[in-house]
Amino acid sequence: MMQTARAKAGLGRALLGAALALFAHTVLAQSKTVEVGLIAPMSGPWARQGQVMKTAADLAIATINAQGGIKSMGGAKLKLVVFDAGESVEKAKNAAQRMVAESPNLVAATGAYLSSFTLAVTEVTERAALPVVTFSYSDLITERGFKYVFQTSATGDQQAEGSLPALMEMATQASGKRPKTVGIVMDNTAASVAFVKPIKDHQLSKLGLELVVDEVFTPPLANATPLIQRVRSKRPDILLLLPTAISDAKLLLEKMNEFGLGRGRLPTISNGAAILDPDLRNNMNVAQLEGVMSVVANWPTASQKGFVEEVRQKTKEPWPTQHFVTTYGDMWIFKAALEAAGKADRAAVAKALRSMNLTDGAAQFFPGGSVKFDAAGRREAAGLLIVQWQKGVPVTVYPGKDAVAQPIWPR
Amino acid sequence: MRRETVLIIGFGLAYAAFAALVTHSYYQLILTVVPIWAVMGLAWNLLSGYSGFVSFGHAAFFGLGAYFVALAQIGWNLSPWLGIPAAGVVGALAGLIVGIPTFRLRGHYFALAMLAYPLALMYVFEWLGYQELTLPMRRDAALQFMQFEDHRIYTWLAAGLMVLAMLLTGRVERSRFGLSLIAIKEDEAAAEAAGVRTLHWKLLAITLSGAMAGVAGGLYAVVLLVVTPPAVFGMLVSAQALIVAMFGGAATVWGPVLGALVLVPLSEFLHAQLADKIPGIQGVVYGLAIIAVILLAPEGVVWKWRAYRRKRARAAPAPAAASPVSPAAAAQRASGPERPVIFEARQLSKSFGGLKAVRDVTLQVRQGEILGIIGPNGAGKTTLFNLLNGFLRPDGGEVVLDGRSIAGSAPDRVCAAGIGRTFQVARPFRRMSMLDNVMIGAFLHEPSAAAARAVALDALAQVGLAEHAQRLADGLTNKQLRLLEIARALAGKPRILLLDETMAGLTGAEVEELITLIRALAASGLTIVIIEHTMQAMVRLVDRFVVLDDGAVLAEGEPARITQDPAVIDAYLGRKWRMANA
Repeated sequence: MMQTARAKAGLGRALLGAALALFAHTVLAQSKTVEVGLIAPMSGPWARQGQVMKTAADLAIATINAQGGIKSMGGAKLKLVVFDAGESVEKAKNAAQRMVAESPNLVAATGAYLSSFTLAVTEVTERAALPVVTFSYSDLITERGFKYVFQTSATGDQQAEGSLPALMEMATQASGKRPKTVGIVMDNTAASVAFVKPIKDHQLSKLGLELVVDEVFTPPLANATPLIQRVRSKRPDILLLLPTAISDAKLLLEKMNEFGLGRGRLPTISNGAAILDPDLRNNMNVAQLEGVMSVVANWPTASQKGFVEEVRQKTKEPWPTQHFVTTYGDMWIFKAALEAAGKADRAAVAKALRSMNLTDGAAQFFPGGSVKFDAAGRREAAGLLIVQWQKGVPVTVYPGKDAVAQPIWPR
Repeated sequence: MRRETVLIIGFGLAYAAFAALVTHSYYQLILTVVPIWAVMGLAWNLLSGYSGFVSFGHAAFFGLGAYFVALAQIGWNLSPWLGIPAAGVVGALAGLIVGIPTFRLRGHYFALAMLAYPLALMYVFEWLGYQELTLPMRRDAALQFMQFEDHRIYTWLAAGLMVLAMLLTGRVERSRFGLSLIAIKEDEAAAEAAGVRTLHWKLLAITLSGAMAGVAGGLYAVVLLVVTPPAVFGMLVSAQALIVAMFGGAATVWGPVLGALVLVPLSEFLHAQLADKIPGIQGVVYGLAIIAVILLAPEGVVWKWRAYRRKRARAAPAPAAASPVSPAAAAQRASGPERPVIFEARQLSKSFGGLKAVRDVTLQVRQGEILGIIGPNGAGKTTLFNLLNGFLRPDGGEVVLDGRSIAGSAPDRVCAAGIGRTFQVARPFRRMSMLDNVMIGAFLHEPSAAAARAVALDALAQVGLAEHAQRLADGLTNKQLRLLEIARALAGKPRILLLDETMAGLTGAEVEELITLIRALAASGLTIVIIEHTMQAMVRLVDRFVVLDDGAVLAEGEPARITQDPAVIDAYLGRKWRMANA
């Protein structure tokens, strides 16, 4: 009897030992790498932007790991897992489902470029309790009462409301006098229409501006001459130029140069990052872009010392764009959350994101200089930047604390 | 239960059982999306596969269904359990509204016009401000709002819809509806002449098809939870419906399902496996796969398989040629000049541009007679027939049947009124069996498939083709084609039969056979008007001639008198010939 009991005890101890060893092994394995996800279009019409995001994430992770990884987790290394959101909402949702099903170790993800993709992806990740950080603008993303989605950009509505006041403030600072007249030349796509709606609704009257040119065209534009002729004859103090297609932008800007309105002589401002894309340099004479401005949710700012130079050296990108900076910053947000959580666990990372209040590190990659999310998951300090083409490179010129250059503005 | 019904339900159950075993949430999603695209493919197939009116715009119905379900839940808090069936109604209405103007077009024009609807709707929904809709999360009433924790339930729902769509398609295929659609695809004009109400069936097809697509779109919205204009109205949606159906085999029940079963997972698999290594390569491989199938099986996998089976089954030799009509039937008919006029043309005229093809033609057809219309090539004989049966609307004059004017009536109405016809160049429905060909005619008075079948078999027997009933009309001899057309016309129980150059291209012996047949038909009480440009055979067949020349009536009368008429001889053989034989 004794022997049997001892044998049993021995067996129990052996099993316990094995279990402990297994546990320790698991913990060690987990502490070695922590998986974070990037879900973005790697194929299809938006593949180029997906590649930019991947390049940014790779660069950030390389830097984080080189600096010792996640210190609270014994120097665990970050590992990026990429999922192709493809070219349709269905593909994006499939990719999200694949992400949660096949990568149970993911602690957080960023994506998914287009708002509609992000909406579909977060429907999946929310149910899997996987935190997702996104720069998509749609207000809906953080209006659904979701607990695991974090929006770093100013939302679409915030941008539409905030752009014109920001522009007026910058104009007043730069030229010493307030603009009195404004012209709008826009296409009739959803993005442009949504952007202009609050401006026409109430902002013009509130800001005491007179609308002297109001032209809408259906892309693709065949001939920009009549539009620009009207702009020249009315000569507004500022011009909102809102094409969506690159080809239309090129046509309009070339015509403005031909009519002597280009190169900053007529302050011209657009919306979104398309008109600041490096690809534009291959399509038109860069000199004609000089002075053109755009309102964007993110861009390299004065707080990032040496960042632009580093990107230029280590990647093939001529400068970091909105998607680049944001995705790069997202990786630093993940790092900060993991440091706070101290373990590779979704729930803990989500909790850390909710209580996060950064003013350095990741915060330098987001306008407003802080990363703190409100109850809905919106970044509280999210604001707008105005970026201007200067000597062939788009640089941030507003607001002052983020600006890396003075705006070119006719006095 | 029919064998096919059992197979379809068995397939659905097997699919559902397989889905029950899958716990991986990603594979579950794919298993859910496959039947949705199968339903969408079946929807496309019901219209385009069977009727041949190719639609590049099925996304319109799909998108309306998806938006309806999403907006109804957001706006009226309507559960998808009610929203999805209602999306079917929305799709059906959209189909009808689209169909009425668009069916004025044919061929490529129809396809291109269909392309416009989803594109237009895409802009409308963007303009309305519905760039992005999400179905609100309802954890409080998950069951009521189809928000199941267990994703397999979606798969079962989708599989259930797929089974319903397959059963519906199978039912349509076997009915008068389906055969009429196929006849329209094969030869719309011939179908009209055989009494098929083409617009009626086409509208019914697009309505049903729209309903199926609307339901598919509604379920898609529930599964995807996000609805955007490009996602549901985009070109990819219409293309996907078309591709799965064409890949598997259009105009079949299993084709679109097979297409969806292969292509949707293949595309996803390639996307998942290759996209992160070589971005975009999945599209190339997918495209190559489709090209390969189109080259190897241009009509789709199911048809290829059927052809293979038929080839193996064709070990037994084909039966002997058609048995001639029994001479007994060709009994002498009572003849008499004073039979009543039942059908006449009064000063009928038709011009094509400057060419006056038919000029003031007046002729009477008497009950039970065989009237021959002869004339040299280009005399306007076929144009006259086209005016008589409604293919053409006359510029002037009247067509009178039983004292009632029918000029300008559509061909199917004329056919229903009792006037059957055949064509100068035979126009069978080549991809249909002989029996089905003739059934199309029989449906005119026998809406049920069984009764139409009996009538069709009778008609085939009458012309001596009964033993070939199951053969495809493609590859028949000239004589068989002529007989088939006569049988198709006979099945519609006409009172008057218009035969357009039925003897053209036949050998002497075959002409004799045909004469015997036509005599027998006349003896059974049928009135026959026959066009021919050779006179020899006609002289022995007809009771009376009307001679056309240059669009006008040149002479009219008994064969003996007509063959002596100098004007006729001039028109036919030239003045010289008459002089030489005078």
